[in-house]
Amino acid sequence: MLLYLHNCISLSDFFLYGMFKLYCCYPLQSALLFQNLIMRRKAGVGAIQKQKLQQEKYQAKTSTLQENQIEQLSKQLEVFRTNLEEFASKHKAEIKKNSEFRKQFQAMCASIGVDPLASKKGFWSVLGIGDFYYELSVQIIEVCLATNHKNGGLISLDELRNRLIKARGQSKHHQEISKDDLICAAQKLKVLGNGFTVIPIGRGDYMVQSVPGELSMEQTAVLTLLSKLGGASISESQVVDNLKWEKARATKALKNMVQDGLAWVDTQSDEPTYWLPSLFFECVSDGVSSAGS
Amino acid sequence: MAEINWPWQYNFPPFFTIQPNKETQKLQLDAWKSLVLDYCRSTKQCVIDVREANNSPVFHNAAISRKLPPEGILLVLEELAASGNAEPLDKTKTRWFIFWRTLQELASIIHTWAKDNGFTNTVCTFYELTNTPDQEFSGIDEDVLQKALKELEKQGKAEVILSPEINGVKFF
Repeated sequence: MLLYLHNCISLSDFFLYGMFKLYCCYPLQSALLFQNLIMRRKAGVGAIQKQKLQQEKYQAKTSTLQENQIEQLSKQLEVFRTNLEEFASKHKAEIKKNSEFRKQFQAMCASIGVDPLASKKGFWSVLGIGDFYYELSVQIIEVCLATNHKNGGLISLDELRNRLIKARGQSKHHQEISKDDLICAAQKLKVLGNGFTVIPIGRGDYMVQSVPGELSMEQTAVLTLLSKLGGASISESQVVDNLKWEKARATKALKNMVQDGLAWVDTQSDEPTYWLPSLFFECVSDGVSSAGS
Repeated sequence: MAEINWPWQYNFPPFFTIQPNKETQKLQLDAWKSLVLDYCRSTKQCVIDVREANNSPVFHNAAISRKLPPEGILLVLEELAASGNAEPLDKTKTRWFIFWRTLQELASIIHTWAKDNGFTNTVCTFYELTNTPDQEFSGIDEDVLQKALKELEKQGKAEVILSPEINGVKFF
C-alpha cells in the first residue's frame, strides 16, 4: 500500500515536472494544453465556446509571430544579399584574375547554396562571373575537338590546361586558370548531354572525356590504375595483378578501350601492351611545347 | 641528309602495330603516309623495297626497338598508291615507286620551270633536269621523272625522247 502511494506521488511528481518543463519551452502551447486538461472535465456550451475563443486567439498569436519571423528573416536575407553583392562587385576584378580567390569565392557561394554560374539572370549577370566560365567551357570544347583525332576524345586535365593557356594568349590574367576552374567549367558542359564528362582517376587527377557515351566501370578503373602507375601503357597482367581481376575481365576492359579508340595496342613486346595517346608525353606536348618555345 | 622531323607517333610503340580498330587504323595510316612521304622527300628516295624496308629507319625505330611488319608496310604503300603517291614496280608488289609529289603535280612543276626558264622548244636531257639545283625534281629518280614527263606528253606539253644512250625531253 505504502509502495503504491509512493508510486503515485512519484508519478504525479513526474507529471508536474514534465508540465513545468513543457511550460518553460513552449509557454503558450503548454498553458493551453494544461487548460485543456483541466477543462476537459467541464462540459456544456459555455465551455466549448470559451475553448473555441481561446483557440482563435492562439491562432491569431501564431500568425503574428510567424509574420514577425518572416519579416525578420527577409530583412536579414536582404542585408546578406546586398553584402554579398557588394562584396562580389567590389572584388569582381579580383575574382576574374585570381584563381585562388575565385576558388574561395566559389566555395563560399556553394556553402550558402548560391551558384553564380547557374544564375545568368539577376545581379550575378552584372558581374560576369558566369561569363568567365562560359568562355572557358567553349574553349574547353574547342581544345577537346582539336585533339580528338589524336587521343580518341580523352584528355588529361593537365594537357587541357596547357593547351588552353596557350590558346588564351600570353597576358598574365589569361594564364591564371586553375584546375578547379577547369573542372567547374567542364562540369557545366554536362548540360549538353553526356558528351562531356569529367572523370576522376585518383590522386587528384582528372580526365575529360569528350566523346558521346560513358566510360564503363572497368575502363575507369584501368584509367585510375594507369594514373597510379604513371606512364602511358598497361598490359593485361598488370591489370590482373593490380586490380585482382579475372584475366577475361581485364582482356575485355582493355579490348573495349581499343574498340572505343581510346587505346592503341602494341604487340611487339612480351605481351600485348595497351597505350593511351592521351597520357603519352610526346603526344600531349605535341603542338604545345614546340610553339611555346 | 636533311633533318627529318619525326612526328610524335614515331616514338609511340603501338604506332608500329597495325591497329585493329578501323578508325584508329585510319589515323595511323594517315600518319604513316605523311611520315613516309616526308622521309622520302628529305632523303630523295624514290623506290621502296618491302623486303629491305626494315633496314630503313623510317620503318624501324631502333630506339624503342619497334618495326613495322611487312604486311603493315604493304598496307601503308597501298594507301599511298590510293592517293597517287606510290605505284608498284612489279606485279609481286615488292618494289614501289614513291612520289612525294604526285605525277601530275610533278609534271606541272617541271613544265612551269621549263616555261619560266626559257626551255620551251628546246631539248633537255634527263640528266640536266635531275641535276638542276634547288628544284622539287632535283635528285629525283630518272624512272619517276620519265613517268612525270609522260604525263606532260599526254597533255601535249612535251615530247619524251628515249634512246639507249641518253633520254631527253622537248617542252612545248
